[in-house]
Amino acid sequence: MQQLIELVADAKRSGDYQPLVDLIPYARLLGVQCVCYGEEIIFRLPASGDHIGNPTIPAIHGGVIAAFMELTAQFQLTLQMPQPGLAKIIDFSLDYMRAGLDRDTYAICHISRQGRRVGNCSVLAWQERKSKPIAQARAHFLLESENLQFKAD
Amino acid sequence: MIDNEYYLARCRRFLAAQPHMRKLGIRVIQAQQSRVTLVLPVQSQLISEGLDTYLHGGVLTTLVDAASSASTLCALEAFELCPTLDLRIDHMRTPVQSQPLYVAAECYRVTRSVLFTRASVYQEDPSRPMAYGIATFMRPEGGAEDSLFARLIDGDEHATVD
Repeated sequence: MQQLIELVADAKRSGDYQPLVDLIPYARLLGVQCVCYGEEIIFRLPASGDHIGNPTIPAIHGGVIAAFMELTAQFQLTLQMPQPGLAKIIDFSLDYMRAGLDRDTYAICHISRQGRRVGNCSVLAWQERKSKPIAQARAHFLLESENLQFKAD
Repeated sequence: MIDNEYYLARCRRFLAAQPHMRKLGIRVIQAQQSRVTLVLPVQSQLISEGLDTYLHGGVLTTLVDAASSASTLCALEAFELCPTLDLRIDHMRTPVQSQPLYVAAECYRVTRSVLFTRASVYQEDPSRPMAYGIATFMRPEGGAEDSLFARLIDGDEHATVD
């Protein structure tokens, strides 16, 4: 936990978010990268044979696209939290619009509302051009930094 | 009447045909008409050294997506490649990293154009789910659109993908 708080603080200071991304094993396994342009962060899912769900098209597994977008939202919310901590997902809703082909995929997260406890956001994923998204998602996250475990479990 | 062994074999081939399912070692442990149960084994590549919470960020989503599409294979007589229209997941508890994750999915409604599924993710106790997911899939017009993929799933031994 201490390590996490330090990493978030470091990332905010240096603008290098990669160590934080690499802390999440699945993000590391997928090879998620992020590039920061001021306040705007674009996440990149590099093409990989391991991401394929349909080998004959070939197309990226729908779950990989969904997970990449969920991680994008999680990192964006985590980095914008007033106090350090990891945003915790409550729900995630995704529309698939086009097949994700075997090439790099990009995603950007827009925070529509950030309250004290809950953040609402939307995520867009695309490949060749942003105007032709492959998927769009909406998600809610719990932002309380000390409340990393749901209570009353 | 299609027996459970048939569905099980079809789901096994479906998972085996997908590189990402092989990468995560996701296996089918039970299949019957309209229903399937998959497991994600405990594995070092998904374990975080510093954090017990959060190791599964995103993995549950992949697992629910995989089980939901596998359940459609158990609801259709012949294999059809059905793209996912939408997927919604509610996260209720944080899984622990020391136990496998199970996901039970059911394709509860089949119409001419659309398939509806629901899934729950659990660890030790199915009555204490970590997450629920619902999804819809679009059926292709005129059966399977991807004939090579269909042959792979239907167990044609001559169908191969490099």
